[in-house]
Amino acid sequence: MSFTIILCYLSLLLFLGVFAGRLLKKSSGDFFLASRGIGPFMLLMSVFGTTMTAFALIGSTGKTFEFGIGVYGLMASWSGIIHAAIFFLIGAKVWALGKKHGYVTQLSYFRDRYQSDGLVLLLFPLVVCFVVLYLLIGVIGAGRFIEGVTPETFSESTAVTTVPLAAVPADLKIPADWQKRVTVKNGELSVSGSLHPKRKGLFMPLSKAPEWKKAVNELMKKAPRGAVPKPAGMAIVCLVVLFYVFFGGMRATAWANTMQTLVFMVMGLIAFYVITDALGGPVEASKKLLANEGKNSVMAREGLIGKWQFLTYCFIPLSVGMFPHLFQHWLTARKASNFKLTVVAHPICILITWVPCVLLGMWAFGILPDGTNPNAVLGMMVARYSGEVLAGLIGAGVLAAIMSSMDSQFLCLSSLFTNDIVSHHFSQKEISDEKKILLGRGFVVAIVLVCYLIGLSNTQSVFDLGVWCFTGFAGLFPILFAALYWKRSNKQGAIAGVLTLAVLETTGYLLSLGEHEGEFLILGMMPVAFIVTITTAVMVLVTLLTPPPNDEIVEKFFPAKN
Amino acid sequence: MRILVISLILLLAILHQDWWWWEAKEPLVFGFMPIGLAWHAGISLAAGLVGLMAVRFCWPDHLDDEVVEEAVAETGKEEAS
Repeated sequence: MSFTIILCYLSLLLFLGVFAGRLLKKSSGDFFLASRGIGPFMLLMSVFGTTMTAFALIGSTGKTFEFGIGVYGLMASWSGIIHAAIFFLIGAKVWALGKKHGYVTQLSYFRDRYQSDGLVLLLFPLVVCFVVLYLLIGVIGAGRFIEGVTPETFSESTAVTTVPLAAVPADLKIPADWQKRVTVKNGELSVSGSLHPKRKGLFMPLSKAPEWKKAVNELMKKAPRGAVPKPAGMAIVCLVVLFYVFFGGMRATAWANTMQTLVFMVMGLIAFYVITDALGGPVEASKKLLANEGKNSVMAREGLIGKWQFLTYCFIPLSVGMFPHLFQHWLTARKASNFKLTVVAHPICILITWVPCVLLGMWAFGILPDGTNPNAVLGMMVARYSGEVLAGLIGAGVLAAIMSSMDSQFLCLSSLFTNDIVSHHFSQKEISDEKKILLGRGFVVAIVLVCYLIGLSNTQSVFDLGVWCFTGFAGLFPILFAALYWKRSNKQGAIAGVLTLAVLETTGYLLSLGEHEGEFLILGMMPVAFIVTITTAVMVLVTLLTPPPNDEIVEKFFPAKN
Repeated sequence: MRILVISLILLLAILHQDWWWWEAKEPLVFGFMPIGLAWHAGISLAAGLVGLMAVRFCWPDHLDDEVVEEAVAETGKEEAS
């Protein structure tokens, strides 16, 4: 049932892709930037959907289960303040420059501002690497998630699982309608077909004998789950996103993001309502947890999150300023004032999405056994307190959150390759618009394929590296800020900043591979705090020691106000 | 007004570091939300309000005007040629 609902949702996205594709004008401006015609509401939804990944639903619940309610302050409320400030100070300004000078990507702005192909060639591999890592987390996460929510999708009726059963318990009663699939004989328990983990709750009460419990536990581990395999789940999600990005470009991406953002916000709220109701209401759930002395530590922060870690986490949301896919979304706005709604509503959208999930994670800590995989917490709460239909709808919501970031990332990588590498470096003549769209589509296909193939291989290292992609983007933020607000900033300073970041990022990653408890911290602080500070210092120092940019550039980017 | 908005953002950043609620599980706001969580939900709401003040009183209207002027100038050049 869950898989059917997910398939229905994915079909809706395909339909949207076809529809957007029909409206696509044959210009690269329309393919990459939706003709810069996106209104305030779609801009808000696109930007919010792009910044929120599956982490907003699954991760927030799981992290709260692990580190308590402080996770909201650490990740959500800092983001509310800093993202809104970035949209105000950076987003609207970037839009105006993009509109005025015709930029399609972040790198085209840097090339023009610093008059340096070298800087772009240095930034390009870094940015691509960070985006691919970010993308992979989404692709692999989607595959894992679909596998997790679709048990017994395939019955695998020919498969028979047999586990040893020391002796047939005297009190054992197998229901009549189970006898086709379940056989107990001569010291063994056999079941044909796949088994949903929920079935454990049906098997266990059939007998009180310890040997029965042991056999059921063994059976649940051994029996096929009949779920959609991870490679197939990854392929389905990649193909759906590929389809609508390929045919509809940025217009389809913006529409899909609007729909997907609404879907994951609404599904999160529905999950919260249903689970809270099953727990006897929010007041009752919190009272029970508070009374549970061994478990109520998650209602505070002491011992779970460090105070300096809490403070220095503010550097992480700076990464949003340098996300190239978000940069591209900013350029799609019809006018600068369209950013107003995003500035005001973004923190509220974070509140609406995160608070229910944090509360669920908090209550789950009092309910689920210790040692539960944090990423499985939301799924387990949904499975325990709701039916398959809701599980399917929430599954669609989680996939919506994943895909609303993936589509922008695929399109952005394709834009970077097409506009900043091929069009700029390898073409003697101006490439026609039709060729640009063709190239853009070709790159989307290639990137999807590469990500899928990497996703099939060593996945854990991707997740370990993933944390560092946010640190990397945050480390590049001072360069963008200086480009926009510091007339004196020059290419030498920017290049020095990028090189410093690359060295610090690599060093930080290698250090993090050593043994440490919990999150990797330096003197109790987030490594990103040191990286941003040192990168800024080097950039400023080198800028001041080298000649300022010429007057023409200063006049172009900082025109005197009349 | 710009100074007020900047001051409010800085105030939010300071209030965000609520070490005074660090160990507190209670009171439960609305009967279910631990104070540490309610405080930060309030920070998100306040960020929205400060954002509203910023766009109302400090919005760089010249950004849209500049682009319009540029477009008009371009059209003028085309017509003249």
